[in-house]
Amino acid sequence: MNTYIYIWVSLVMLTGLSVSTAGRNWGRWGLTLALLIAFIKSGLILNYFMHLKDQKKMKWIRWMIPGIFAILVFFIGLTFLDIALR
Amino acid sequence: MINDRSMETHRDDLGSTLGMWLFLLSEILLFGGLFLLYAIYRFNYSQSFHLAAESLNRPIGALNTVILLTSSLTMALSLYALKQKQSLRSLCFLLSTILLGLLFLFNKYWEWASKFEHGVYPNATRLLERERGEVLFYGLYYSMTGLHALHVLVGIGLLTAMVYFIRKGKVHHERYLPLENSGLYWHLVDIIWVFLFPLFYLIT
Amino acid sequence: MPSFYEENGRFRGFWAWIFSTDHKRIGLLYLLSILSFYAIGVLLGFLIRLELIAPGPTIMRPQTYNALFTLHGVIMIFLFVIPGIPAIFGNFFLPIQIGARDVAFPKLNLLSWWIYMGGAALAILSLFTGGGPIDTGWTFYVPYSLRTPVNVPLAVLGVFVLGFSSILTGINMVTTTHQLRAPGMTWFRLPLFVWGIYATAWIQILVTPVVGITLLLTLMERLVGVGIFDPAKGGDPLLYQHLFWIYSHPAVYIMILPAMGIISEILPVFARRTIFGYKAIAFSSLAIAIVGSFVWGHHMFVSGQSDVASVVFSLLTFLVAVPSGVKVFNWVSTLYKGSIEVAPPLLFALTFIFLFAIGGLTGLFQGALATDVHLHDTYWVVGHFHYVIFGGTGFAIFGALHYWFPKMFGRMYHRKIPYIAWGLLFVGFNTLYFPMLLLGWQGMPRRYFDYLPQFHSLQFLSTIGSWILIGGLILMFGNLVHCLFKGEKAESNPWGGATLEWQIPSPPPRENFDEIPLVSKGPYEYR
Ligand code: HEM
Ligand SMILES: [Cu+2]
Repeated sequence: MNTYIYIWVSLVMLTGLSVSTAGRNWGRWGLTLALLIAFIKSGLILNYFMHLKDQKKMKWIRWMIPGIFAILVFFIGLTFLDIALR
Repeated sequence: MINDRSMETHRDDLGSTLGMWLFLLSEILLFGGLFLLYAIYRFNYSQSFHLAAESLNRPIGALNTVILLTSSLTMALSLYALKQKQSLRSLCFLLSTILLGLLFLFNKYWEWASKFEHGVYPNATRLLERERGEVLFYGLYYSMTGLHALHVLVGIGLLTAMVYFIRKGKVHHERYLPLENSGLYWHLVDIIWVFLFPLFYLIT
Repeated sequence: MPSFYEENGRFRGFWAWIFSTDHKRIGLLYLLSILSFYAIGVLLGFLIRLELIAPGPTIMRPQTYNALFTLHGVIMIFLFVIPGIPAIFGNFFLPIQIGARDVAFPKLNLLSWWIYMGGAALAILSLFTGGGPIDTGWTFYVPYSLRTPVNVPLAVLGVFVLGFSSILTGINMVTTTHQLRAPGMTWFRLPLFVWGIYATAWIQILVTPVVGITLLLTLMERLVGVGIFDPAKGGDPLLYQHLFWIYSHPAVYIMILPAMGIISEILPVFARRTIFGYKAIAFSSLAIAIVGSFVWGHHMFVSGQSDVASVVFSLLTFLVAVPSGVKVFNWVSTLYKGSIEVAPPLLFALTFIFLFAIGGLTGLFQGALATDVHLHDTYWVVGHFHYVIFGGTGFAIFGALHYWFPKMFGRMYHRKIPYIAWGLLFVGFNTLYFPMLLLGWQGMPRRYFDYLPQFHSLQFLSTIGSWILIGGLILMFGNLVHCLFKGEKAESNPWGGATLEWQIPSPPPRENFDEIPLVSKGPYEYR
């Protein structure tokens, strides 16, 4: 039960961090940082709230999320091959 | 020859967890198509995106993020309580989740409505007079937050059904899977917002 | 033990079917509905061909023609081949082949069928409402689909709903394969049909949502004009094509992988020999599923996408040809030194290999950049995809029907007639589609109502072919339908198959197995 609360506190703090860094002008890095924070947040939600971490009987389903992410990166990356080089 | 029915039902539980995760995967790719479009258009029109994002209401967006994160917490607590046989507590947490969801939708509605008032909605002449990039930004904004809001709505429906089932005693500490799966759905909707928020409100 | 036909459950008669959660009944529901749509699709194809028998208007006006080929494509793709094998035979046989009593989520399974029918109903409704039948082609390309006055929104919504049904079936199949295998049914003892359905199910889950969102956005574009795909508002119509093909190329694997599974089932049984290279076939299915998801850009070589993208997509396209080739070699090697009995199922399976090879090789022409500039949007393409889809998946379905008919219905069909029907089908098919390859090569564009006089003789020949082909279809299905009622009783294992479905009565009892079997050998080990 306490774990849940800690996770929630970290999530809110990360949101704060994301908002406060967005005020500065960091160019490209702003987006990178924002996405990095979003990934950390979703990692927390996935592992603790959604209990992926405790999934003992079907360990392989932990790999589904990184897997799907890789697929999405391929989809977006290949589309950029067209858009960015047209 | 083996004929152990109890083993089969045991496996069933794992089965529906797996099934739920597979469904979530397809949800991720549903939004994935939109993220692809977003990436391309942001790349093509980074200036206009920056400009358009300035006019979104950042405090409300941040507030909504916190609301959804909190609702995720109460969702997790509700399941936790149910597993501890505290179905009343579970119900309370569940109801707060629903309320937070409604609050989120209310804010969203308010946000959209004030944009509409300024003539910023799809196909509005005043919007179409602006830069192409801004039109696309708002096109994506309405499509993505709209689809997300639709998911919140469905989630609220699911959770309401769970309230009913828990009260009827159909969902309880031994049969908590329906609640767990609805929870998974709710958390996923939350995760999607975790990405939508910085991508629309925090463009620098 | 009473068969699943006799045990009704809570409802009676008709209701006992449309509310049944038994995977076998649902499989048969799909069989009936899918084949009915197929019949309509064939009729439309027949009309298209009739129009093209001579230059100039023959039996219809251009707009009718546009509606007909669109409808033909939509029905054949979304209502026939995509759901076809997984929903009919996957439903009926996958649980039995892995030693389960049903799929993992029987109610969801029934829901999928209802959603399928709902989607079909919307598509049909779209013909009579709004601006009338759509004329965009089954690809719904923007910006045309945003501008044409016909009823695009409803049709697109229908296809979206069909996608939902497909995803749910996929979820069911993956979960069933993971969770409900009988004791001893290890991954490498799975029949190859199961591998085919399993790989397909992953594609269904992962890429169908992408077309879902694409169609949803098209719908929104029509209704409120968000502008994402609309060039007039700054949108990039090529992004529609990207998203559409991210789904629709893998969709051709949704069509062909289960078909390949069927072929891998039939060949060893009638060659009385274990399959050659089991693992190569199983893993090549997965390889096709994965690599096949990254080749979609080969549909856009002449669309104006960047040259680098075209080169990369062309390369990847040639790569997927490798696992497909692996399969063909394995099949042929399976036959080598077998004691072959050319029963009807095998005849169709062999025809699959032949026609699929032509389809696959013509595909390589299109995958090469320079030749595709010449071939794109010509009848060559129409010939190519009919060879793969109809010659491939279509003939695999015919083979599956003849292979599993005795198990599904407990009766045997007339054993001579399929040979005659096959002769008509084979001759008709090639007379119908081979001229299309030649026409395309000579520059006849696709989706055209009219043509230059120089194309007349080949077009005429092609139309004659369609008549022969349809004659074969009528004979083949006539035989099956007739024997459904009048055929003699079938034994439980007429072909001497080693997979589990042949070890239970024909037709199977309600829960397939009295006791869940303990599996101790591979699927193609004959004594
Ligand atoms: C008797 C059977 C069939 C006949 C006579 C037939 C005939 C044709 C013809 C002439 C066209 C070209 C229309 C044009 O470009 O103007 C066409 C298109 C097409 N056919 Fe068939 N066909 C048959 C069966 C099938 C089957 C079994 C499938 C799939 C499983 C199929 C899928 C398609 C598709 C997807 C198109 C493209 C439609 C479009 O361009 O939008 N056809 N067919
Ligand atoms: Cu393709």
